Amino acid sequence: MTHYLIVGALLFGLGLVGFLSRRNLIIVFLSTELMFQGAVVNFVAFGRLHENLQGQSFALFLLAIAAVEASLALALVVLLFRRKGTLDVEVWRAMQG
Amino acid sequence: MSGSALAYVMYAIFALGGLGVYFALPQEGRWPSRTAVVLGLAALLGFLVLLGLEFAPDGGGGLYWVLFAGMAVFAAARVVTHHRPVYSAIYFVVGVLAVAGMMLLLAAEFVAVALVMIYGGAIMVTYVFVMMLAQHGGRPIYDHSSRAPLGAVLAGFVLTATLSGAIAEALPAGAAAPTTTVNYDVDFRPAAVEESGPLPAGNTAAVGATLLARYMVPLEIAGVLLLIAMVGAVAVARKRIPVTEAGALAPPAERPLGQSGREAEPFVPELKKV
Repeated sequence: MTHYLIVGALLFGLGLVGFLSRRNLIIVFLSTELMFQGAVVNFVAFGRLHENLQGQSFALFLLAIAAVEASLALALVVLLFRRKGTLDVEVWRAMQG
Repeated sequence: MSGSALAYVMYAIFALGGLGVYFALPQEGRWPSRTAVVLGLAALLGFLVLLGLEFAPDGGGGLYWVLFAGMAVFAAARVVTHHRPVYSAIYFVVGVLAVAGMMLLLAAEFVAVALVMIYGGAIMVTYVFVMMLAQHGGRPIYDHSSRAPLGAVLAGFVLTATLSGAIAEALPAGAAAPTTTVNYDVDFRPAAVEESGPLPAGNTAAVGATLLARYMVPLEIAGVLLLIAMVGAVAVARKRIPVTEAGALAPPAERPLGQSGREAEPFVPELKKV
């Protein structure tokens, strides 16, 4: 199952790259969803390795949490867009540090 | 190939891939150069060939793993580096389909279909709706530049390389399978498919029985969490932002990277009853 775990790690790493470097708020949260995909692959691969259904059950809960996070994140994005009129992350730079 | 030799070759491939992604990230309106495409595709090919030859044969998924893994990694790289948000969403759906294919290879049929339905059907629709409501029209600067491309690529790829090296050294090809007996978590097995392999056929039935019998409390909590999220999203998005003057919601002047928010005009909310 090593190759599945490495693909999961790679999906997570690419999501991390997008999360840290993009300026569009929506793409930042889309990269977060990509990280969830990597975690799902890892869980199901380990479940297959141990030959039980625990990995798949947790992957389903992870799916529910991802949906929850997506809805709340997008509500916040809509609110932030209404505040400043742009989807740029840089306009919120005063909150940094 | 021994575990540590595999790890070192993978470090080289990830370095190449990281370089490719760095050149592919949108920077100051520059299109992804041919260098990026060549480096990235070469790294992807090396990755697929290396892992495909090492792990995929006899039981590891074979050619299907190579196909789905290549699709997933390419789609993920395009999600992160494309300069148009709608294309990122579409590439994300492609990635979800590839991950669902990998779930099928891992005998997780219900998870595969649930991924496609919930991600491709619900979450991506929500994202595209929000993109429609919050669009800029034209070439906004925030789609064509990145915040800290070198730092982000370093962070992401060093993490990935470390994880992959550790995994490759701990679980090399031909490692002994864990000696646990098969444990289905609940004493449920469809009668007609007693010994059809390491995981029971009738995966949906088995997963359903497991969730309801063994993971009942987390299931109920997940339901409550979804309800809370629904109420919360409506409550958050309904908040009225007071408009101070006529042009208050016009997009501000485009700011280049690094310009601090302090140099902009302060946003003074008008305190009036909403």
